[in-house]
Amino acid sequence: MTERLKEIYGSVPVIGWLIGMLVAVVTESAFGAGLAYALYLPKVPALLGLTVVLKQPSMFPAAILYVFLIYALPIFFAAGLTAPWANRMAAAMEALPLWLSAILHLGVLYLVLHLWTDMSDYRLQISKLTMIAVMLTLSINVINGYMGEFSCSHPGFMALGAYASSTFSLVLFRQDRLFGAPILPEFLGPYMFPLGLLLGGVAASLGALVVAIPSFRTRGDYLAIISLAFMFIVKSVFENLEVLGGPRGMGGQPHWATLPAVFIGMAVCIVVINNFVNSTMGKALNAVRDNETAAEAMTVNTRRTKMTAFMFGAFWAGVAGGLYAHELRYVNPSSFGIQSLAEILAMVYFGGLNSVVGSVVGALSIQMLSEALRPLELFKWIIIPLLLILVMIFRPTGLIAFRELNVKRTLGPRVRKSGG
Amino acid sequence: MALLEVSNMTHYFGGLRAVDSYSLAIDPGEIRGLIGPNGAGKTTVFNLITGIHVPSEGRVSLNGRSLIGLRPHRIAALGLGRTFQNMLLWRHMTVLEHVKLAHYSQISYGLMSAFLGSRKLSREEIRIEENALRLLEIFDVAHYADQIVTNLPYGAQRRVEMARAMAIRPKVLLLDEPTAGMTTEEMIQMIGIVRRLHEQFKVAILLIEHRLKFVMELCGRIQTLVFGEVIAEGTPYDIKNNPKVIEAYLGREDIT
Amino acid sequence: MEFVLQNFINAMQWGSFYALIALGYSMVYSILMLFNFTHGDIFMTGAYIGFGAATVLLFLTASVGISVPGWLLLILTILISMMLTSLLGIIVERVGYRPLRDAPRASAAITGLMIGIILETGNLAVLGARRFSFPSLIETVTYNIGGVYFTNKKILIVGVSLFLMLLLHAFIRKSRWGMAMRAMSYDYQVVPLMGVSLNMIAPMTFAIGSALAAAAGILYGMAYPVLDPYMGVLLGWKSFVAAILGGRGSILGAALAGFLLGFIEIFTAMIFPSTLRDLIAYTIILLILTFRPYGFFGQPYTTQLRL
Repeated sequence: MTERLKEIYGSVPVIGWLIGMLVAVVTESAFGAGLAYALYLPKVPALLGLTVVLKQPSMFPAAILYVFLIYALPIFFAAGLTAPWANRMAAAMEALPLWLSAILHLGVLYLVLHLWTDMSDYRLQISKLTMIAVMLTLSINVINGYMGEFSCSHPGFMALGAYASSTFSLVLFRQDRLFGAPILPEFLGPYMFPLGLLLGGVAASLGALVVAIPSFRTRGDYLAIISLAFMFIVKSVFENLEVLGGPRGMGGQPHWATLPAVFIGMAVCIVVINNFVNSTMGKALNAVRDNETAAEAMTVNTRRTKMTAFMFGAFWAGVAGGLYAHELRYVNPSSFGIQSLAEILAMVYFGGLNSVVGSVVGALSIQMLSEALRPLELFKWIIIPLLLILVMIFRPTGLIAFRELNVKRTLGPRVRKSGG
Repeated sequence: MALLEVSNMTHYFGGLRAVDSYSLAIDPGEIRGLIGPNGAGKTTVFNLITGIHVPSEGRVSLNGRSLIGLRPHRIAALGLGRTFQNMLLWRHMTVLEHVKLAHYSQISYGLMSAFLGSRKLSREEIRIEENALRLLEIFDVAHYADQIVTNLPYGAQRRVEMARAMAIRPKVLLLDEPTAGMTTEEMIQMIGIVRRLHEQFKVAILLIEHRLKFVMELCGRIQTLVFGEVIAEGTPYDIKNNPKVIEAYLGREDIT
Repeated sequence: MEFVLQNFINAMQWGSFYALIALGYSMVYSILMLFNFTHGDIFMTGAYIGFGAATVLLFLTASVGISVPGWLLLILTILISMMLTSLLGIIVERVGYRPLRDAPRASAAITGLMIGIILETGNLAVLGARRFSFPSLIETVTYNIGGVYFTNKKILIVGVSLFLMLLLHAFIRKSRWGMAMRAMSYDYQVVPLMGVSLNMIAPMTFAIGSALAAAAGILYGMAYPVLDPYMGVLLGWKSFVAAILGGRGSILGAALAGFLLGFIEIFTAMIFPSTLRDLIAYTIILLILTFRPYGFFGQPYTTQLRL
């Protein structure tokens, strides 16, 4: 029986699973509310029912049934049933240029996400925050995983990005208590938003330059300390800059971090970082990490490599910070401290170093876990650290470490081997 | 003019004179040996030539171009390949990635191409990969291409390291104790490999060795370094019969 | 002038906390080449244990009806808290660090951080968000010498800190265990071959560091009686930075840098608005480290992250 299941589901390509998920979210928007009512659930469970169960343990069977009927059954049914057809589709897409096939897949994924988050604002918000967390995790993985330095300044980079892009939006397009009347008409705003995010990224990379110049002369944990000091300095600077709201922070950012905006931001981030780390140029990071002397002797300009990677990682942290600011529509310096550093580090080390998939998994699981465990209040912050300690003890580099993401192979068809 | 020319190179570590007016001239296609007891400063000579340390005094030039003060990666890109005594492989990278990465200075695509995955990038990557695979085949490690390098047997790791050094297209190859930790059998095999790569790539070689047999087999001329100073230079026959060399090696078991 | 002297005393007191905590970071680093990122929270836990011990002692003496002098209670509190907190240090080593000795260094840093979060949250979960104030075991007496005001507590805090540092110094220099520690810090991979076990020395180092942090916690509680589960975060990180500034692994350096940091903070607060305190302190540290990458007494090192 298991053999048979393995055979069926081992042959479902990525597009097949996406179709399954699409069927599930369509089922949910059609019958979710009704089913929840019939099962006496208080409302449609936002996150696979875990929250409901933790609040009211007696709802356990109902929540399980809901998850089974709405998600598990449609996904597996649809994915299994459409497998041959999906494989043909995957094969057809394989003939297309890789970027086009990737865009098609991402399009379906977006559709799934759109329908799923349409059910509740809560889902929408945590989905966006999770995608921002993916960007942060991936960008710190470039530095801490691929390059093997221990950087602690990510909250600082995020803050730089958040403040720079917020300033951009507020100065240009908003009537604001700090900056006064807008300079440009507001309808232009959403189109200029990418520019604002870019500005945030550039601000963060410039910050990275400040850290990198003194710290890359020596090796070891030197960067950890400099970057930690940098993080405190950035926080302190924003606390003292009354122009940017001081300790109270900045509010009223326009609502531009919509689901498509964040999704596109994350997708571009993943694609660009994945391209880079898989290129020979990007592999230089690994060489610098594993042995810098040898890298240098094999013609790698290690200083430039480290600088580039550090600024690159910081850039994406800045972009993520910009999205974060426009999602919460409020930032203040205290959101970018040790607490935020611990969360980012937890995500990257949980998911796995030197791995794009690991970062996505790490951000997704920590973020979802911390949302789902919300009813446990304080104990959430005992369970998650404990989990991470266990992961560190048994898999010191994280769950899915050192895995390369080959997009072509991943998206390709999974045709059953003949005679298998 | 010689291909690689070192003249009166002296280096101090703190107050200690590690290398004392060392000179060398290698012509294209030559194989030279550098022998000497432990701690004689042989590896320091390599590190000085390849730019890991900057010599306190003296000149180093490749093809008439001075190498003094250049960063190691520039020197390497100019055509000075090397291996290391303790190999210094990259422990999380595959064999193929090792050799591909050594093409770093030959990459023609820019950072933006790497980010965006341009067509130029894929063309270039394919070219590099083909070249790397060819090298792996020459060194007989192609069947390990996708393995993490630390999973390989010792001799194969040595060969990967040589393939990596050849990928930078060196004019001069510096081999730092290529037979360290090898059995006699493996050493004899290594003699064959060095010969083959010398014939195939027409590269000049400078090699450091402990084992006199290895050097005697391969090298046209040999220098003996003791306490940072060259005490003897000549053909294998001269060196073998030089009383100073015999004295320096007296009591050492690896004389033959 | 009086103003400066006044602040000198404050800086000495503030620096004592940093110095005592920084010692713990430095000791662990000298042995394992790792930072104990739980240390700030061990300090916090030490303060709470001290609070518990003092409360129990006060309750006992009151219920038995004997009057015990405050200084004796204080000494007992410090001793009990140091002992119990050193146990915590040993547990942290056993759970968070020993299993990861061969893992990448960063992983151990993560477990350390996570144990710290557990201690903070555990504290909140057990004791609630209520803030406790540390019982005043001894009367505060204020002296005035030539216009400079200071209390007996400040003298006591600085005195006890210096005494503990000297004690540590004597231990490391004179005792057999101290010698083993020094040998281990020289090379923790070779020394175990000579009959000194890392599994003995490492917990001992954690224990001593934690005991010092506990003492710092109680002294801190005497000066600033309000306890807070997150009090270890700020002080811990700053002391960590002080340990770096002193030169990692250097005991003397850590103590001196702790005091230096105290001075920097107090005196910048004297001249500039206090909101700039962190900014200036960290900028100075960044500058010092730019020009002296190994701190005051550190040796150049070539450790790589073992990844």
